[in-house]
Formats: sequence, structure tokens, C-alpha cells
Amino acid sequence: MASLDTVLDGVVGTPGVTAAALLDGVTGLSYAERGEPGPAQDAQETAHLVSTHLNRAGFTGELESIVVTTTAHHHVTTRVERQGDPLLLFALVDRHRTNITWALRDLAEHTGRLLA
Amino acid sequence: MTPDAPTTRNVPALLAGLHTEKATATVLVSGTPGGAIHVRDGMVVGMETPGAPGVEVLLLKSHRIAEEDWTAVRATGADPARVALELVAGGLLGAAELEITGRAALFDAAFALALTSPDGWEVTAPRSLLDTGTAVSPDRLVTENARRLRLLANERGATARFARDRLEPAPEARDPRRVARLSARHRTVLTAADGRRTPRDIAFTLGRGLFAVLLDLRDLLAEGFLRSPAAAPAPRPSTAPRTSPAATAAAPHPTAAPLPRRKR
Repeated sequence: MASLDTVLDGVVGTPGVTAAALLDGVTGLSYAERGEPGPAQDAQETAHLVSTHLNRAGFTGELESIVVTTTAHHHVTTRVERQGDPLLLFALVDRHRTNITWALRDLAEHTGRLLA
Repeated sequence: MTPDAPTTRNVPALLAGLHTEKATATVLVSGTPGGAIHVRDGMVVGMETPGAPGVEVLLLKSHRIAEEDWTAVRATGADPARVALELVAGGLLGAAELEITGRAALFDAAFALALTSPDGWEVTAPRSLLDTGTAVSPDRLVTENARRLRLLANERGATARFARDRLEPAPEARDPRRVARLSARHRTVLTAADGRRTPRDIAFTLGRGLFAVLLDLRDLLAEGFLRSPAAAPAPRPSTAPRTSPAATAAAPHPTAAPLPRRKR
């Protein structure tokens, strides 16, 4: 069974992903980081904010992912389900090295293997 | 080592000193909640405090590990400190899951200890703890505690009071349409917040971290699903039988006295 370091090594080995972090989906505590995932510090608060406003607007269900796009990067935050509080996998994706569709597909595979 | 020593003005300073010395020890913190901080080669590898659920509670109460699996590993005669590692070796718990749980428990205990000032502390020989492979530098703990306290309030005293509040359901909590919009996690916390449990009690009941529970309680308060006992409206008028007229006459009501008159 893989350790967190091994899993995140795999994530940053994905084409176009330059940094990654695994966060607690409720507290925002960073469990592991690779590269320089600076924006990850705000990823949990952003996810919480979006989720709260969606619920207030009447949407039910859990938030699965958020993609914030800047001129240079995609900031991809994906919810990782587990028994207990969820996790968030944050990845910084270089827009000039891959496209978001491929990146999301690759990250989904890593998410599935994260706690296996 | 005593709290009066110049290099140990508080527990973070003590841990920073042990980090510099690459010391191996257990620091016993007295007070409420108090606890034990385990240091190996200068790194903090575990904390135990009655103020926050430890690794065993987090694994068992959240049903990540079945009680019988835990007991079975203990029954093999495995070193109690290695029970969690044996669960990983036996394929009952993922290595990443153990890392996450160990790290979460450590930071949560540090947060619980930071909510109040300790009465004192004592550096002792290293003691046994449930090994999860976690090792964190003391300055990382300080940084994370500052972030947590900032998220909950700007004043530490207010956060400490919030952590003791026995929140109770507000009338909004009886509106099934509104409750249905909440996440499953928030609904579970809402059910557990019955006006008798403190956040710590809820954390132990659900097998979740104290800080995580406080954040969810904050959300439920903000959305009007919970209220603090002090915010509850005055109790309804008593429907108990009135006292007899004779008893009333024997003890006249204070307001029955004549109003004071202005002196000319």
C-alpha cells in the first residue's frame, strides 16, 4: 500500500502538473506537498465557500471539484472520499503543457488510487 | 525542567529547545486538559490529551477500523505501540490512511492544548505511544495553531469559550427542507449537538477531530441551525398551580410596596 509521498510523487509525475498537495477537506490541514503548491493554502477555504453558497442556493449533494483558471495555470481541487472527513487533492496544472481535460482524467485516476 | 527556566517560558519554546537539541523525551503538561507530548530526535511524533480524540478513537469511532480487528491485533501479543502499524501490515488499514489519521490527531491535540494555558510541564524520559510514523517540527505546530485560532476567532479566549459551549438546536433545525440541504456531515453534527454535549464530547462521539467539529458547529451557528444556551428565549410562563391566597398574603410581593414619592 502506497504512502502519501509515493502517491503525490505520482501526481506531480502527471504531464503538466507542477505541484500538488493533499489537504484535509474540513480543517485545511496539509498532509503532504510536492513542488510549490502555494495556492493550495486557500483551496479548502475556497471549496468551503463554494459549497456553502451552493447549499444556500438550494443545491444538494457534495462538491466534487473546482477548477480555477488563470492565464498560466489551472488550479484543480478534487474531493477525495474516504471513511470519515473527506480530503482534497490540489494540483497546479501548467496550461501550456497540457489541456484541462487530460489533466482532469489523470488526476481522477490518482484520486482513485490515493487511499487504496 | 521547570516553567520558570528562562528558555522554557511556554510549551512551544520548550519544544523548540528540544528540537534544537534533537532530544528524545516525553513532556507531561499539567492543567486542563493537560496531556503528553512525545518528542523523538527533536521532532514531535505524537500528543495525547483528554481534550481531543487520539488515533485509536479516530480509527474506531469513525469505523475505519472494526473494533474486533483492533482487538484481534492486540490479542496477538503485538507491542501496543505497534498496533496501528500491524493493522497496515495486515492489510486492514492503508499506509496513507494511517499517516493521515496520525497527523490529524497530532495537530488536533496541539490545538486542544493551545486553547488554555497549562499549569506547568515536566520533561520526562520517553514513554510509549501508538506509533503512526508521524513526525512534525514544533514550528509547524505553532504555525498551524495560529491559522486555526485565526479561522475561529481573533481572540483566543473566545475560541476557548466556544470549545466549551453546549450548543442546542434552534427552531430552524426542525425544518426538514432546510436540514435536507445540509451535507451529511453537517446533519450528523446537528443531530449530536443536543444541548448537553460540548464540542469535545461530539468529537469523541463521532470519532472526528475537535477543530473539525468546531468548524462545522460554526457553520451550523451561522446558518441558524444551532444556538448557544444563552441565546435561548426566556422560558414559557409557569403552568404550575398558583399558591394559595393565604400564602400570598403572608409574603407580600415586593412590588406591592407604595412607590417612592418625591419630597417637596
